[in-house]
Amino acid sequence: MDLKINGRVQPLPEHASDPAMPLLWALRDGLNLTGTKFGCGIGACGACTVHLDGQAVRACVTPLATCEGKAVGTIEALGSAEQPHALQLAWIAQQVPQCGYCQSGMLMAAGALLAKNRQPSDADIDAAITNLCRCGTYPRIRAAIKAAAAQMTPVAGKKARA
Amino acid sequence: MKRRTLLLSGLGAAGALLVGFGALPPRSRLGLADTLAAHEGEIGINGWIKITADGGVLLAMPRSEMGQGVHTALAQLVAEELDVPLERVRLIPAGFEAIYGNVAGFIGQLPLTPRQTEPGHETTLAKLGAWTIAKLARELGINMTGGSSSVADAWEPLRWAAATARAQLMGAASLRWKLPRAELRLKDGVISHPSGPHAHFGELAREAAHTPPGEVLLKARAQWRLTGQPAPRRDLQAKIDGSARFGIDQRPAGEPLLFAAVRHAPMLGGAPGAVPVDAIRQQPGVLRVVQLPPYAGGHAAIAVVARTSWHAMRAAQQIETDWQPRPAGPLNSEAIRRTLAASARQTADGDAGFSFRSEGDAAKALAGAAKTIEALYEVPYLAHAAMEPLNCTARVHDGRVELWLPTQVPGLARAVAARVAGVAPENVEVHVSYLGGGFGRRLEADFVGQAVRVAMETNGAPVQLLWPREEDTTHDFYRPAGAALMRGGLDAAGRPVALQVGTAGDAISPRWMERVLPALAGPVDMPDKTTSEGAFDHPYAIAAQRIAHAAMHSGVPVGFWRSVGHSHNAFFTESFIDEMAHAAGADPLAFRLGLLDGLPRHAAVLKLAADKADWGQSLPAGRARGLALHESFGSIVAQVLEVSLDANAKPRVHRIVCVIDCGTVVNPGIVAQQMEGGAIFGLTAALYGRIDIRDGVVQQRSFPDYRLLTMAEAPVVETHIVVSENPPGGVGEPGVPPVAPALANALFALTGKRQRRLPLA
Repeated sequence: MDLKINGRVQPLPEHASDPAMPLLWALRDGLNLTGTKFGCGIGACGACTVHLDGQAVRACVTPLATCEGKAVGTIEALGSAEQPHALQLAWIAQQVPQCGYCQSGMLMAAGALLAKNRQPSDADIDAAITNLCRCGTYPRIRAAIKAAAAQMTPVAGKKARA
Repeated sequence: MKRRTLLLSGLGAAGALLVGFGALPPRSRLGLADTLAAHEGEIGINGWIKITADGGVLLAMPRSEMGQGVHTALAQLVAEELDVPLERVRLIPAGFEAIYGNVAGFIGQLPLTPRQTEPGHETTLAKLGAWTIAKLARELGINMTGGSSSVADAWEPLRWAAATARAQLMGAASLRWKLPRAELRLKDGVISHPSGPHAHFGELAREAAHTPPGEVLLKARAQWRLTGQPAPRRDLQAKIDGSARFGIDQRPAGEPLLFAAVRHAPMLGGAPGAVPVDAIRQQPGVLRVVQLPPYAGGHAAIAVVARTSWHAMRAAQQIETDWQPRPAGPLNSEAIRRTLAASARQTADGDAGFSFRSEGDAAKALAGAAKTIEALYEVPYLAHAAMEPLNCTARVHDGRVELWLPTQVPGLARAVAARVAGVAPENVEVHVSYLGGGFGRRLEADFVGQAVRVAMETNGAPVQLLWPREEDTTHDFYRPAGAALMRGGLDAAGRPVALQVGTAGDAISPRWMERVLPALAGPVDMPDKTTSEGAFDHPYAIAAQRIAHAAMHSGVPVGFWRSVGHSHNAFFTESFIDEMAHAAGADPLAFRLGLLDGLPRHAAVLKLAADKADWGQSLPAGRARGLALHESFGSIVAQVLEVSLDANAKPRVHRIVCVIDCGTVVNPGIVAQQMEGGAIFGLTAALYGRIDIRDGVVQQRSFPDYRLLTMAEAPVVETHIVVSENPPGGVGEPGVPPVAPALANALFALTGKRQRRLPLA
């Protein structure tokens, strides 16, 4: 079985290609893409959030069978060292992460939100970011999403600032 | 200040008694040039610092990064004293030498009260106790990241290590150039003389390693350029691009990694019956089944080894066997709750428990008071619920053990691994990874023993052992449940004249020592300060008070949980002080300030919080404020919290104003992060946290039923840091304790109803 991950078609090793296997484990234990995290295995915490055709999904409850022919995006390709995503820059500017374990999922959930909503309200953020963080970084995540949104959406007559 | 002066002034009056001790060979925490393993192109200066050929600084890092920012803060201290940019300090693993042991964390275990430990005014007893414990802790050399102690502990030895290295580097330049040391300049890692010669650290390191430091001076506060600055955290880039390696992300080179999942009996204290090995092995992807005895105070279990964690967890989940119950009978948290309540009452009556604080005659003062109030407070067991489930990666090969491990106690984990594998500790190598949260759960080593045992069965192949979330929640070492019977007496003018407190809860420290430090576990339990802290050491001056604690042993596995005893005792104490204020008809702020005689720092913190939160000014209808003040881990925190009730009459917290006095601040950005995180961690517990045990089985299994605060529920948290020149206190835990009482006090202000049992939602 092949998966299109971060713009590249990648064959899955045999031990990680059961169509019933959740995408999370094909990424982590099949392809060693460990940026996507395991938190609960039941889609409750969001540590495993990735993009499937641009939508935020919880990889721990997304069987491989449903990923065929779709584009999988993971934290490893949200930005690059040369071209970081506006969210990653905002995450550093706001000094968001603490332990950091939930942050891949947070960033991917936020990325999917900003892709379709460049000016999210607090309510939009509350609705989209249902991921859990045990360290309590929520207020900084909210601030970083707003800062990234402002950076991505130049206000008329004003230059955008990070 | 010179080192010797510092030492002598630290001893104070007790010093005279301790000349004999002082004559013993010094047990410096500086270490030697060869303490750290030699590597090509690196020169060891002392046990903490190496210099690379290109002039970079390598810092041996014994403390674990679990979100609290310790890797950044400790690197800042070194960059400051060595006058290099922070980016030039790289971290390398520390070994197991005693110099890396945590001394401050153990001093924090002394049962002292604020008026005994006020900086600059410590009592002789407090100084003597601290000195003696420090002596012992240095001998023991236990590397532990916990007790909010990392900066307090590193503050002296790390700065001295860096300042000594600086003196040696300057000395080497002085000798090489035959120029007076006093004329040399140091900037950004380059030593120079106005007449022209200059060299970076890497060019001087080899000579510096053999150059005596001469007189070593720490930088004066006025010269600091990095300490006290919000330097960006060093670990964040890796945490935003997926490259940070937590324990679960370890992929040792070489043979393919195998994955193991753990399954315990559902009942606490239970064990698997006959294990259906063949049936399990027939599950897809399964390679092996290993039966695990209990390790380090944990539970017996079954491990399923497979090619992926998913195969292993799926097969483990499907295991059917006759699970054996706890031999001493099933545990029930409701029955324990009733026992604790009864014990708390007996303890308040003076018929049980150990009195940690007794001043005046509380019983008599209570009997003579114009008005008395009595209240029973209760808190449940709590799970740690770190986002990264428990895991350990192990390889056992050729009489050697290698561990890749998210742990707060690498040395104790090494000891457990050595015992399980039957090898000497020297043959166990521990690679400490980032921790996806610790909160005290990773002070344990049960999962380490399990991983080593499984790796003994895989012919040298490395194994990553993982606990499914449900195992993590149902087989924790829980924050103990607790009860407090509180009695207060007021005189006719409404002044508090008596306080009588009895608390009860499972002892933590003795159980932990039995599990991971058996050499220190005594035949009988010592009075357990950790479960009474935050009760007996409150700051309020009340002429007659007796505060006692009954240490119980219910059989529920209990452990250290972020802020430990303070996590519940602050709720008891600060709620009840509010009750006393109300009974006195006084404003809760004014009432507290009236009892803080002789503790100006506490009063200042409380006043500043009240001021920043507009205490006393009106709020929109349906909102109210509550406040709490609590000292823990060497830092004083006050919080003012604003609450309303939602359409379902559930509390909704909008804003928390937080003030901390944590002494000298190394990185105010990290302090603010920890205050925000602590407040939200505390709010999760206050609103939702509860572990219920029925017929031995923990009822909560994962996040839907062990609820965490969400983005939509998170309040704004504003942090204000008091400027101080006192030695640094802790910041990882002190933000947690005041939240629950501030919330309960705000709800009382809003509804007139006093809530005395957690959780509140």
